[in-house]
Amino acid sequence: MKGGTAIMTTTRFAAALAAAVFLLAAAPGAARAAGPLDDPGFAKVITCAACHGANGNSGSDMMPIISGLDPAYFKRQIENYAAGKRPSPEMEPYAKEVQFLGADQIAAYFAAQKRVPTPIRVSAEAAARGKTIAAQCVVCHGPDGKGEAARLIPGLAGQPPGYLAQQMALFKGDTRDPGDPLLAAKKALMKIIPDGQFADLAAYYSSLR
Amino acid sequence: MSRLTRRDFLRSSGVGVGLGLGAGFGLSGCAGTMTGDIAPKSGRRVVVIGGGWGGSTAARYIRIADPTIEVVLLEPNREFVSCPFSNLVLSGQRSIESLTLSYGGLRARGVKIIHELATAIEPDTKRVRIGEGYLAYDRLVVSPGVDFQWEQVEGLAAARDTVLHAWKAGPQTVQLAAQIQSMPDGGVFVLTVPRVAYRCPPGPYERICQVAWYLKGNKPKSKVIVLDANPNIVSKTGLFRAAWRAYPNIDYRASQKVVAVDTSTREVRTEFDRVKYDVLNLIPPQRAGAIAVQADLVGADKRWCEVDHVTYESVKQKNIHVIGDATIGLPVPKSGNVANNMGKAAALSIVSLLNGQAVPLMPPGNTCYSWVSDREAIAVVNAYKIENGKVVQIEQKLTPAQSVSVAQRAEGWRQSIWADMLS
Repeated sequence: MKGGTAIMTTTRFAAALAAAVFLLAAAPGAARAAGPLDDPGFAKVITCAACHGANGNSGSDMMPIISGLDPAYFKRQIENYAAGKRPSPEMEPYAKEVQFLGADQIAAYFAAQKRVPTPIRVSAEAAARGKTIAAQCVVCHGPDGKGEAARLIPGLAGQPPGYLAQQMALFKGDTRDPGDPLLAAKKALMKIIPDGQFADLAAYYSSLR
Repeated sequence: MSRLTRRDFLRSSGVGVGLGLGAGFGLSGCAGTMTGDIAPKSGRRVVVIGGGWGGSTAARYIRIADPTIEVVLLEPNREFVSCPFSNLVLSGQRSIESLTLSYGGLRARGVKIIHELATAIEPDTKRVRIGEGYLAYDRLVVSPGVDFQWEQVEGLAAARDTVLHAWKAGPQTVQLAAQIQSMPDGGVFVLTVPRVAYRCPPGPYERICQVAWYLKGNKPKSKVIVLDANPNIVSKTGLFRAAWRAYPNIDYRASQKVVAVDTSTREVRTEFDRVKYDVLNLIPPQRAGAIAVQADLVGADKRWCEVDHVTYESVKQKNIHVIGDATIGLPVPKSGNVANNMGKAAALSIVSLLNGQAVPLMPPGNTCYSWVSDREAIAVVNAYKIENGKVVQIEQKLTPAQSVSVAQRAEGWRQSIWADMLS
């Protein structure tokens, strides 16, 4: 919140009181408990739920979990999708819808949601193999796969394995954010990892909590 | 229709006292016909007619947004069968069981489900009739899907039990799959597409891909004749054209409106031609589900329902919100994803209105995948905004080509959106 707006004037207080009285009068005998609609962000993200799950906690293998995502990272992805820099026939239109509804508010909403790890289970063997390949990923994504928000590096822990493996292939082929200097090192690294190891690497990061 | 008994109601809704049934009806459990007020209303109540993609979502989101509002869902079918993905049953890629889902998740959220057909709506008294009984509501959601205009095709009304549409996933889907499988090699499968507007614009063309894929591998001398009442493929046109290059067994004929069917000679008649079939899949012209017509929610065309673009309240009847394929006037396709989004927007509008709060703007969105083989899919995506109270499209985007990757995302979408409706 910006400085100064927290101070409520007498006029504003009276208006707020009047609004509160109106709300109580509108629902006699049924004082509504606090609900999701109290957060204006909730109504803005209902379209997202069809793919990304309740509050951004996707339960499917191919759709990323977007709850608890750093707002700056979230907004950067929306901008890149909308501009066609991160090409996605699904997300390019929806990113524009997010911008229409208010990217700041939607980013803040998802950032505030508690992240629930994917329910998709991976084999322990695949995860163990993936761990041996992950040594170089740790440099940026951290030893626990939580990422580093300040450097716009997303957390990978608990993301669905299908999504992670697909993104690796997109990075390797330079079809995600082509030419983005922030991602040059990442793509160089992905190029030396054989395609056959993506599933194991994805299994490892997906299994992290 | 069957008569609703107290025992049936108590069993199907899973509640008695919670609906105010305890004292009024006693607990003797006798199976008399239910008349009068089936469940007297004590608090605020929304009744939802139809437990498909729109209605299930609406019921679920009302309970999520405000659990103090009672929600009663009227749906004759005891299980949910997904229309999206049901074309894969015709090619043997999927079983109908894999598309059949329980309403248990909605029950667990406190939605009271009555497996009966709503027979009439009384807007003035805010009641829904179920046979000889009724349910009172504060607001009503009507999500009736489509019904068929049998009378538009000569001979169809009399043959409606044997000429399959398979346009509502369920028993007909399984029957049509069996007919295709038992068709002799060299047999002709005829599929007819009605003129727009109809449920699921790309659905017929996905179906053509699936049947052609199956016949190519299993009955190589057979062919698919498509009689399309429209001048061209209605949706994802270029992508379907490209996909069909792999299926030389498709004989696509545009602007061929079917006007008659004769099951004794096994032929359909268009305005210009007669076509013999071994297996016929006639998708009839459609209109809003019967209850919407009966309740005069449809417009001058007597087919579809016009609604407010923000709240989905009927322009003809107050306190009644119409969602899904039954609606017209928004620049959206009649798709499952759109019905799901309309269900959410109607639900949150209703909760806001019942609580005396401002209704937020909730534009819809549409993601629609079509399977063009056993492993590849294509998609179209539409995003929208609301301007001056009207839904306006921001952008439509197609996948650049068919791919396995799109098919994988289709599977992801299926898992997520089913949960968004029914979990």
